[in-house]
Amino acid sequence: MTKVVSGVLGSFKHEDDAVAAIKGLKEKGFRDLTVYSAAPNHHLEAALDHPVSWVRAFTLIGALTGCAAGFGMTLWMSHDWPLLVGGKPIGAIPPYVVLAFELTILYGAMFTVIGVIVLSALKSLRGRAYRPEFSDDTIGVFVPCAADQRSSVRTFLERTGSEEVSEHGA
Amino acid sequence: MSDHTTRDPIDRRRFLTVMGVSSAGAAALGGCSTGKVEKLIPYLVQDPDQVPGLPTTYASTCTECPAGCGLHVVTREARAIKLEGNPEHPINAGSICARGQAGLQGLYNPGRLKFPMARHGSGHREILWNEAIDRLAAELRTAGNRVAVISGAGPGTFDTLLESWVTALGGRLVRYQALDHEPLRLASRSVFGQDEIPVHDFAAAQFVLSFGADFLETWHTPIENQRGFAAARGFERGTVAKSVYVGPRANLTGINADQWLAPTPGSEVSLALGMANALLARGRAPVDAGALSVVLAPYTVAKVAEDTGLSAEAITKLIDEFAAAAPSLAVAGGIGAQHRGAIDLCAAVHVLNYVAGNVGTTVKFGAGVKGGDGYGALAALERSMAAGEIDVLLVHEANPLFTVPRAGGFKAAWDRVRFKASTSLFFDETAAGSDLLIPNLHPLERWDDAGGGRNHLAGLIQPVMEPVYRNVATGDVLLQVARKLGGLLAQQFAVPSYQVHLQNRWAELARARGADPAAFWREALQRGGVFGPAPAATVRLAGNITIGGPTQIDGDGEVVFAPYPSSMYYDGRGANRPWLLENPDPVTKMTWQSWVEVNPETAKRWDVRDGEIVRLTSTTGSIEAPIFIYGGIRPDVVAMPLGLGHSEYGEYAKGRGANALDLLSAQDGQGFLPYLSTKVRVEKTGGFKKLARTDGNPRELGRGITESIPASLAARGLTLKQAYEELGKGHHEINTERELEAITGFREAQVEARKFGDYAAEHPMWGMVIDLSRCTGCSACVTACYAENNIPFVGEADVLRGREMSWMRIERYFEGGEDGEPFKASIIPMLCQHCDNAPCEPVCPVYAAYHTTDGLNGQVYNRCVGTRYCANNCPYKVRYYNWYAYAKLAFPEPLNLQLNPEVTVRARGVMEKCTFCIQRIRGAQHRARLEDRPLRDGDVTTACAQACPSGAIAFGNMNDPAAKVVQAAQNPRGYHVLEEINVRPAVTYLARVVPGAEA
Amino acid sequence: MTSVAHDHPHPKMSHADVTRDVVRTLETPSRGYYLALFSAVGMFLVGVATFVMLLKDGLGLAGYAPPVFWSVYITTFVFWVGIGHAGTLISAILFLFRSPWRTAVYRSTEAMTVFAVMTAGLFPIIHIGRQWIFYWLLPYPNQRFLWPNFKSPLIWDVFAISTYLTVSTTFLCVGLIPDIAAVRDKVTGWRRKLYGALSLGWTGADSQWRNYTRGYLYLAALATPLVLSVHSVVSWDFAMSIVPGWHGTIFAPYFVAGAIYSGIGMVLTLVIPLRKVLKIEHMITEYHFDNLAKLTLLTGSILFYAYAMEYFVAWYSSNIFEQTTFWRRAFGPQWWAGWSMIICNAFVSQLLWFKKIRTNLTALFIISIFINVGMWFERYVIIASSLSNDFLPYAWGQLNPTWADWGILIGSFGWFGMYFLLFARTFPVVAIQEIKEMIPMPRRKGGAH
Repeated sequence: MTKVVSGVLGSFKHEDDAVAAIKGLKEKGFRDLTVYSAAPNHHLEAALDHPVSWVRAFTLIGALTGCAAGFGMTLWMSHDWPLLVGGKPIGAIPPYVVLAFELTILYGAMFTVIGVIVLSALKSLRGRAYRPEFSDDTIGVFVPCAADQRSSVRTFLERTGSEEVSEHGA
Repeated sequence: MSDHTTRDPIDRRRFLTVMGVSSAGAAALGGCSTGKVEKLIPYLVQDPDQVPGLPTTYASTCTECPAGCGLHVVTREARAIKLEGNPEHPINAGSICARGQAGLQGLYNPGRLKFPMARHGSGHREILWNEAIDRLAAELRTAGNRVAVISGAGPGTFDTLLESWVTALGGRLVRYQALDHEPLRLASRSVFGQDEIPVHDFAAAQFVLSFGADFLETWHTPIENQRGFAAARGFERGTVAKSVYVGPRANLTGINADQWLAPTPGSEVSLALGMANALLARGRAPVDAGALSVVLAPYTVAKVAEDTGLSAEAITKLIDEFAAAAPSLAVAGGIGAQHRGAIDLCAAVHVLNYVAGNVGTTVKFGAGVKGGDGYGALAALERSMAAGEIDVLLVHEANPLFTVPRAGGFKAAWDRVRFKASTSLFFDETAAGSDLLIPNLHPLERWDDAGGGRNHLAGLIQPVMEPVYRNVATGDVLLQVARKLGGLLAQQFAVPSYQVHLQNRWAELARARGADPAAFWREALQRGGVFGPAPAATVRLAGNITIGGPTQIDGDGEVVFAPYPSSMYYDGRGANRPWLLENPDPVTKMTWQSWVEVNPETAKRWDVRDGEIVRLTSTTGSIEAPIFIYGGIRPDVVAMPLGLGHSEYGEYAKGRGANALDLLSAQDGQGFLPYLSTKVRVEKTGGFKKLARTDGNPRELGRGITESIPASLAARGLTLKQAYEELGKGHHEINTERELEAITGFREAQVEARKFGDYAAEHPMWGMVIDLSRCTGCSACVTACYAENNIPFVGEADVLRGREMSWMRIERYFEGGEDGEPFKASIIPMLCQHCDNAPCEPVCPVYAAYHTTDGLNGQVYNRCVGTRYCANNCPYKVRYYNWYAYAKLAFPEPLNLQLNPEVTVRARGVMEKCTFCIQRIRGAQHRARLEDRPLRDGDVTTACAQACPSGAIAFGNMNDPAAKVVQAAQNPRGYHVLEEINVRPAVTYLARVVPGAEA
Repeated sequence: MTSVAHDHPHPKMSHADVTRDVVRTLETPSRGYYLALFSAVGMFLVGVATFVMLLKDGLGLAGYAPPVFWSVYITTFVFWVGIGHAGTLISAILFLFRSPWRTAVYRSTEAMTVFAVMTAGLFPIIHIGRQWIFYWLLPYPNQRFLWPNFKSPLIWDVFAISTYLTVSTTFLCVGLIPDIAAVRDKVTGWRRKLYGALSLGWTGADSQWRNYTRGYLYLAALATPLVLSVHSVVSWDFAMSIVPGWHGTIFAPYFVAGAIYSGIGMVLTLVIPLRKVLKIEHMITEYHFDNLAKLTLLTGSILFYAYAMEYFVAWYSSNIFEQTTFWRRAFGPQWWAGWSMIICNAFVSQLLWFKKIRTNLTALFIISIFINVGMWFERYVIIASSLSNDFLPYAWGQLNPTWADWGILIGSFGWFGMYFLLFARTFPVVAIQEIKEMIPMPRRKGGAH
């Protein structure tokens, strides 16, 4: 069992309460909040206002690699075993475009998935409190804070309309 | 190899067999070539004429029909793998027909009798050879002179031996071959006082007119005829002989003719006499022909028109053209018009040739070709058999219980004979009906000679391998029996073996020519025999010639029944050979089945369609067979091929198809069997049988696949395109200007792009030219290809799905023949075109199909995964696929002994196709390398080109300007099939030249 | 996205209802379900048995009749590849177009895609002559460095199909993760453990969503050209050859349209009963079917045009080979196949001009069956009837299929159905998180805006 992160977890049934809470906490200088929601939610994203994800970089690199691999493989292999067919050139570009294209897509997609997993994993959620209803119809806000700050955070969350607030950590 | 009843010491050939076992490619041999090989013994002393891996060729003579063509038997590791023509032989000059090549499937036929047998209850049981000979001797002893022999063996040493043997016994010898030419011989006797069948020179003829003689299929010496015909039609001299066929049904000879005339069956004689009459009137006939005027006078054009039902114009045109051509040639005596008046017809044609001055030029007497004693003699024997005058009957190389119509009394007479013996190699109908089976050795396993019945030709037959089964040559049987009988007979036939007897005979021949017997024998053995110049006898008209007029075909049916000899099955002996069963009939393209040919009009009237089974009933019997609608037959005639409908004769023949002879009366028509002699009633049975025909669509649909060009234009050296413009006829769709620009435009770039790796170097470029003026569609090349390339047959069921594997196929297209249109047919051999821009290559995902450096379209069997994309993309559809493990099914022991070790036997699931006989190309290249010389033109030829009796196929290196094939390809008549799709085939076709001014 | 999400009738239910209703579909299935599953498995076994016979005796068992070297197997291959396309279209392309009605149906169509392509993928192996060495088509480094021929459209196929299978499977799985998490939090016992493992520790934290939504977007962006390319490549198997009736520039768009048409046909055939069985009528509504039907009408009309064009071009080209092929397609020995393709596809689809029909599920279901049949015949006609009459009339031949052809066809349906049924009971066939995304959360001030 990983060590529990010290902090307070609040649940919100109402979107606007959660947004208000997040905004408030950020003003109070709380960073590294974790906001749970059952579906992507624009208001929460706006409130948190993170920079754009790096996934696209993975996608681009993957696609380019695939394209190069496609042309490289076809051209090299047909010159490695040069046989004349139908009077066509040994290394014929037009047909090889098809393979390059397919590999572009394949690599692009695979890199994207890897990207999502890697990038999500970078932000470790280990030990942070979670409640099952977050995947149902409730927004959760976890505020990591030292043991002595917990009570103030708790009262803040309750004031902003959190239905259920709990403190975590030693 | 005289007496095998006792274990003989290992002889040379045994060594070869054993060596064969140890050598690659012949692993199966030990199992079945002889039951005696148990262990592998390596060579102790290398036999000089046997090098493992190299073929050894023996000269011999073909006995598949009476023509007596010369053979070169190719053997590998002491087993015959291919039959080729003997180039030195005057009759076939290196070519060979389909039936001749299929002799191998007789040698290795699974239906061969493995040992002598004697009747045992209802069946037969195995006996030992000495028992068999004792038995025969004993029977003969008791029979005294109540002995008869029916022999189909042609003239030669065996025949004379047999004759003296029978005479010594005091018995009777009847020489009988089905499809013999008695009417022709009898007519020669009555018209010229010459009791022989003339020899014909088709090559010299400027006009070839046939009255029912299928001279390209079975008539007389088909290959010799075909060689001559091709020469006359091949346009070498810048002219082409016109050919007209007269008969109720257009057979292969008929569809090769420029014109097919179908007079009322039985009235052909009138036409011949009418023509003779007209020619006589024109006073070009020899002086003594005047005597004929009495006979000929009545036959005016009007009378002929009335008799034959042909238009007066057509008759006059024919007369004019025939008269204009010198020399011309008219032939008759084929089964196609062998009605009761056949002798008159042959006589009339003799007269016609005489008045046209052809006798001595294109019709030659003196060779002394007799044929057998004729059906008349057999009928006489039948009578004495029926009268119980015969106790012992020996049948040799004949199958009377099949070839004599069942309606007659032959079977009954047969049963009256106490003891019947058959020397047949197979369990045929006659063998089945015999009490003693003493199977002869196959001609490739024994000593003998044959000359096609010509005095000046003597071809040797020599054993080329260890017998497949340890049987005894009938020649030796005769000698051994004589010895057993003792007394004078034993003294008369004291020679130790038939081989010695043969050599003695040849020694006499040598002495007669003042040659040293040993050298003479050796040379004859090497060359395949001795071939003297043809002796010419000048003949004169006999006195008081009388020739009967038209004949009526009797019978109570509404249509005349015209059975005809199949160019594959001949008299029925071909029916147990898959090569012949699956080689499509050249005219109908039917395989594996019997069929009834019906004119489209008649079919409409009867409301029958292809494959509908009908029952034909004559006064003597009835048979059932599916309908084949055919434009090349008179509306009041139905035709059917002979040779199928066997009740015995091995797994391939037994119970297949129907026997057309069942409708004929066995009645003897003055010495011969009249085939075209009955009318039949036709009724539907309601049954249906899908026809195993290999032509998906018999019409060309104006696609310009087979091209022809009028002689007048060809003589001016016009190309096809020019000829079409000249005639103001639209050519079928050819590329537009823009397309041509595009094609030629990227052609250079394409050729540049190819110069890569091995492809950059100098290589030969193999190509082929096929002359449609020479090709007759005989299909000899097809069988040659099967034999050379281990092509499996697929059987009736798969032919019905169009899965036949013939790398070389003869496409036959019909024109007209319906609603008043004149019936025509055109023929074109189709094989892999080895395209420069082969569409089959780029689509193969694994490079199994690729282009070799020497321009071949390669197919790598063991790389092929079987996507079949190549076949879909082949515009010529010349790629063939192994849907099953055909090779396993098609070569049951001992047929597998024939397989060519040079060629892979293809596995299930791979694509295969014509390789231009790459094994021959590489072989020749290796030989040239060993002899340290460049490859010369003529070093390589494909199996098809080699076999072709017409010499229609030329093969060689297109990069060698001196090569014959290059010159042939430059002929203005040259064209490519489907030129417009720009695949650049390596096969060039030469348009067929048709006489006259319009195509 | 919410902006769009509101100008259409989204299901009137709360997030909690959504979770509840969807999770309910995963509970113990009815007898009817088992019946369906077992019959599917049965059909699959028929296919297996047939394939064993093919391996034993050879492809000769099927009705191949040269020159028809491809027949029912390739027909069925193209049929299944085509089916796949609708799924990707709905899940990827409509996602990029922000078309709201896709959400309710895309999960099931995507599953259909994956299983259809899985089915199609078997056929290239079944139909080759030496099935045991099919891997020779792959560029794997072997002892003698024999490579495949990349000029062959069949190799393009290998790459296109395998890429398509991989990407669409990935797409499906990625979409499933949040929903699996939702299910995880509702169930108990071993199922909780199972879904827990499959959810890869998904909690729906902001840090996960921000990468997830982006990644999903790019996957969609990549899948879009892919889906268009795959059937183009398949069509080039034919168009790259010189067979009259195959060698046409129209083929790629023609095939893609046909693919989507057939795919939506199959979606309708599957979803109409499915929503009843799973009691989710309130989530997949008339509104969705109306839109599906409109898409069918569009693609169907494109096909209509393509058919007309094929005949026009054959006539206009004055190419005798093309002309014969198309004449025989309509009046030749296989006229019945030709006409069933034109009637089922070109004509039946035109019924969808009427809203009454578009919104009548029974009618739609019947039409969808016509579409499936028609599209199978389209491929049959293109392949079998074009091959049966090409350049040399002498070599023509007519296909007539045998039990071996039908056995494999039946087996393919069993194989597909088996997977689809198992999926429908194991994973949410409606995308929970995307539905929720469209349903605004309650707000204290001013309620839902």
